[in-house]
Amino acid sequence: MHLPIFTHRQPADVAGVVSALAEGSGAKVLAGGTDLLVNMKHRIEMPEKLVSLKKVADIRGISLEADATVIGAATTLKEIRQNSELERKFPALFQAAMSVGSYRHQAMGTLGGNLCQNTRCRFFNQSWQWRQVRSLCYKVGGEECHVIGRKHACFSTYSGDVAPALLVLDASLRIAGPDGPREAPLSALYSGEGRTPLTLGRGEFITAVVIPGAAARGKSRYEKFSLRGSIDFPIVGAAVWRGDGSVRAAYTGVDCAPVRASELEAELAGRELTDASLKRGANLAHKAAKIAPTSVHPVTFKRELMGVLFVKAMRAIS
Amino acid sequence: MGKKTVLELMINGDAFEIACAPNMTLLEALRDKAFLTGTKRGCDTGGCGACTVILDGEAVLACLTLAVEAEGCDIRTIEGIARDGKLSSLQETFVEHGAIQCGFCSPGFIMSATAMLAEIPSPGREEIRRHLAGNLCRCTGYAKIIGAVEAAAGKDRGGEK
Repeated sequence: MHLPIFTHRQPADVAGVVSALAEGSGAKVLAGGTDLLVNMKHRIEMPEKLVSLKKVADIRGISLEADATVIGAATTLKEIRQNSELERKFPALFQAAMSVGSYRHQAMGTLGGNLCQNTRCRFFNQSWQWRQVRSLCYKVGGEECHVIGRKHACFSTYSGDVAPALLVLDASLRIAGPDGPREAPLSALYSGEGRTPLTLGRGEFITAVVIPGAAARGKSRYEKFSLRGSIDFPIVGAAVWRGDGSVRAAYTGVDCAPVRASELEAELAGRELTDASLKRGANLAHKAAKIAPTSVHPVTFKRELMGVLFVKAMRAIS
Repeated sequence: MGKKTVLELMINGDAFEIACAPNMTLLEALRDKAFLTGTKRGCDTGGCGACTVILDGEAVLACLTLAVEAEGCDIRTIEGIARDGKLSSLQETFVEHGAIQCGFCSPGFIMSATAMLAEIPSPGREEIRRHLAGNLCRCTGYAKIIGAVEAAAGKDRGGEK
């Protein structure tokens, strides 16, 4: 499968990336390429220009700023997996990075790339030939969403592993752009809409992820359920964090964006964590997501998994 | 840089001048330009591991690497694993253990395992399994491949076969 035609830039610094992205339209950032290039081969994404982060200085590596941990966006998932300090402080992040694809994907794939992973659906994560048997869906230039049967809507599912872990760790992003650098909470990266799942403006890209020091004062865990134990996208992935009398839970694989389970969190805030209270929380987990049948797994199954994975993760850190 | 450029790729220690457009993958450059067809094209979308090569010491998927981004890197393919006509210990143990049937996946497995053994000289069975996850074999059932990697690790330590 050949890649479609595009122009390629390899700037040496952040400013170079911003200006290369902002020139014209249809430019995309290329980090590890393990998601974007696959989609391009399938003609799901056809950017006119790829701006590579391979040669950009200062956006790779793990450092401490006061008590916050700063991870450059181009840091590979392998570098995260191999960092014993991160594993000790943020087990959920370690477990999530470890569960992405194969070790080859982890050596190539970056933290920023994983967060920006495109949404997935059984109707467009298919070869170009497969998709010819029906009209194109809304995500890839057509009119209708084949999942819901509605026009101008897309319910494709966010399936990145690392985002829920960073959501329960209350991580924020450093974003570079034509108007200078800005910071935003991770949750603000996601639009909640399937066709354009990210909120980044033209010329903007993530330079770093910041995990506040307070996140290290709790216990965290990521649990993933997938068909294959070796390499697979999550059917549902759940991250949990507990500390200071509160519980946080976040999910992937259940909505157009990774979601925090606020009803569940409110139910358990300040409560003693017993089998009964965890069950009550678990029963509220599905309220966080509008699960669409974008995969071969029934919606009811995913709903139940959200509760099951929550209890499993909480028991592992109790 | 939309047009063709001439790249100099260092493959197995030899410099190759390859004319390529930005949309050429490293896999296409290796197979179709350098005629090094030992690296296999399987799924071509990163799911099977047949195209695994070693880039600056790291096992990566050549089907998802742009050739232009491999310029300046040390590229190692299956053709560069044997030295002076002598198979590497990993290649030897693959033969000894019958870890090859049709042979299509073998280059990918050997490249993944070679990179792993350079990083972890004495891997446990679980570590080997994790490293080889993502390399698919439809013939052997994996047991012999894992056995061959274990044996090669033992050999490199100077232990028994």
